[in-house]
Amino acid sequence: MTTLGQFYPVASPVHDLDPRAKIVATAVLVAGLFLVDSTTGLLFVAAALVVLVIFSRIPVRRFLRLLRPVLFIVVLTVAFQVFFSREGATLFRWGFLEVHTGGLWLAFFLALRILLLVGVAGVLTATTAPVALADGIEDLLSPLKKVRFPAHEVAMMMTIALRFIPTLGEEAEKIKGAQAARGADFSEGGPLRRAHSFVPVLVPLTVGAFRRADELAEAMESRGYRGGEGRTRYRELRFRARDALALLVTVLILLIGVLL
Amino acid sequence: MQNPGTGTRTDGSLAISCEELTFSYPGSKVPALSKISFELRPGEYLGVVGPNGGGKSTLVRLLNGLLRPDSGRIRVSGHDPATEPFEVRRHLGVLFQNPENGLVAPFVEDDVAFGLENLGVPREEMRERVARTIRAVGLEGYERREPHTLSGGEKQRVALAGLLAVEPEILVLDEPTSMLDAAGRREVLERLEALRAEKTVLHVTHHLEELLDADRILVLNGGQLVADESPELLLSEPNLLRENRLILPVVPRLALALGLPANLRTPEELAEAILARAGSGTRAR
Amino acid sequence: MRLELRDVHHTYAPGTPFEVEALRGVSLAVGPGEVLGLVGGTGSGKSTLVRHMNLLLVPTIGEVLVDGVDAMTLKKSELRRRVGLVFQFPEAALFAPTVEEDVAFAPRRLGLDEGEVEERVRGSLRMLGAEELAARSPFALSGGEKRRVAIAGVLAMGPEILVLDEPTAGLDPATREELVALIRNLRDAGVSVVLVSHDLDEVAEVADRVCVLRDGTVHASGTPAEVFYGDPEMAPATVRVASLLKASTPEIGIPVRFDETLAALKAVRGG
Repeated sequence: MTTLGQFYPVASPVHDLDPRAKIVATAVLVAGLFLVDSTTGLLFVAAALVVLVIFSRIPVRRFLRLLRPVLFIVVLTVAFQVFFSREGATLFRWGFLEVHTGGLWLAFFLALRILLLVGVAGVLTATTAPVALADGIEDLLSPLKKVRFPAHEVAMMMTIALRFIPTLGEEAEKIKGAQAARGADFSEGGPLRRAHSFVPVLVPLTVGAFRRADELAEAMESRGYRGGEGRTRYRELRFRARDALALLVTVLILLIGVLL
Repeated sequence: MQNPGTGTRTDGSLAISCEELTFSYPGSKVPALSKISFELRPGEYLGVVGPNGGGKSTLVRLLNGLLRPDSGRIRVSGHDPATEPFEVRRHLGVLFQNPENGLVAPFVEDDVAFGLENLGVPREEMRERVARTIRAVGLEGYERREPHTLSGGEKQRVALAGLLAVEPEILVLDEPTSMLDAAGRREVLERLEALRAEKTVLHVTHHLEELLDADRILVLNGGQLVADESPELLLSEPNLLRENRLILPVVPRLALALGLPANLRTPEELAEAILARAGSGTRAR
Repeated sequence: MRLELRDVHHTYAPGTPFEVEALRGVSLAVGPGEVLGLVGGTGSGKSTLVRHMNLLLVPTIGEVLVDGVDAMTLKKSELRRRVGLVFQFPEAALFAPTVEEDVAFAPRRLGLDEGEVEERVRGSLRMLGAEELAARSPFALSGGEKRRVAIAGVLAMGPEILVLDEPTAGLDPATREELVALIRNLRDAGVSVVLVSHDLDEVAEVADRVCVLRDGTVHASGTPAEVFYGDPEMAPATVRVASLLKASTPEIGIPVRFDETLAALKAVRGG
């Protein structure tokens, strides 16, 4: 899909996996990473992640870009651990800042873990189309229907959102252009002024979105929609041997990482 | 104008019947529709015209159960939309004006399948019906396209495919071409023409030239049914047209101004008619 | 004021896999007090071209000149005051609590004093036949009313050229005719109009000159008669009828507008 930025459409064995398997594997890894308490273990998982990225045929630069948002947190964490941890032998001292060997190791460990968490989630979103993700989530949540969780409605909301995000994006561009043509300037002034200058874009966009929602609801009802009862599904998710294998491998890697 | 099905059904059942239909929007003192009565026989092609706010869109929504009448009786294929809306929606499909807001799914084929999903049609059958209707509207190859990448005409054709997949006998078109450019209009109208032989059609539009083949045209103004007549008759009544803010397209307007019949619709037909008349002895070249 | 586009090229997303050359060398000009009809199908580059007229988009190659001066050297706000651009379905951008406030947006941005702003607002609403809507909420209006308010909002800037991108799209025929009459009035009042439209019959009624865009270049340009009779397949109904009759009745001439065509047809009929 075009606009969500994270998804990288290319053919790869990872792309082909059932989204449910990938979602569960990601959840397992993300939770399990907190059980890995040795740097060696983390490095092993990191190596496995690198192999995974290669299998996914995602260009390295693209993948690294996925990690960019957390760079700030990583740097902060590293700095904090390096300068304020008092574990291990002292390497040097400068005023109230001390650098200890323990701090360096801890910094490395924590930074690596953060990067792995984001990296794993990044592989999920890069190899799974948003629509497939929505399908997978719907399927995984559907047992919750028994406890009256609106799994179908949630899934419907997700797919409709996916459908309309590009459309709303274009609409926003158009409205911005129309207001610019009337003399609006979105780049002048400080943050408060700038936020205010977006009112002529946000108001019509929101009103328009509500109107769209009304028309869409009418169209859906006219086409016989009445919630999830008795509804079949056109798209199919097929859980195959390779998906089970992928899950197994994930658990194994985690196990090894914990044991190391 | 031949429409198979008109008059050939012996059981006399109507596709749509409305009796004394009245409806006011909440908070409005003036009724949007006032005692509207008309019939639509199977296979007929009925046009609906009139100024904006005259009740056309309200009628569409009453017919498919989105709105319930204050009084009066509607039957669509024998069912009452107010009490059995989902039954009605199997038999009556609506193509709305805005091509964008009728498409609900992120991919074309998924959207076409939407109505079938709602009906609980098994997957194998869905695939076949979706493929068939996508072909029927000329969009083979578009299955995995995303709606926002399509032109207006293509979007409306996707919406049409979605309607047709459910196989309703009655098609209601609510100004389906008014937001399209010339090319889009042509695309959609071509497909609709092909469907007229097998479906019963109620076509709401501002473009009178789209209704020249209609069996009858209803004129709705201010909630009242002002006229129910054939296109030929309607087009040749300038007062009726003017009062209802109906504007003839260029060719029929020229024709009428030249004393020729109003049912000439293309420049070619008009030119022929002019030559034919000139040739019958007025002035030699 | 004379607005000229000289050999304008525009490429979207250059250097990426999504690169698209929407305009491949377009040259045209709009003089004072004239209506230029800009026609072309989807994909012809109309929308892209129109956004160059007030520099919402900047040419990749080529220039936009205002009275011979490079528009890039002018202040953007000044350019956009003089060249008013109304998008397709402009009512999507209405945002203020009342019609007056919405129409006042542009004049206020120009820094005019309140008295002048009010005058502009009243004046443009009057031109659009929408005076009585002043105190209403733009969101509660009908489609045709919203359209008028949106156009008034741009007219209130007092532009010398008004660029209208499909101004009659989605409107009923009666309202469409009213807007076409408005275009005529504007032209007569000295405001030039660039009318982008896929409706050739509409363009035929009101354009002084026509420019046909195809695949990002100018396919034909000249007076309506020159352009439309040059390609009668892609012409308004009036021209097509007259063209068909030319062989047998050459004296029919080259009428374009409805009234001219009717007169020519009547004359030829031997009446």
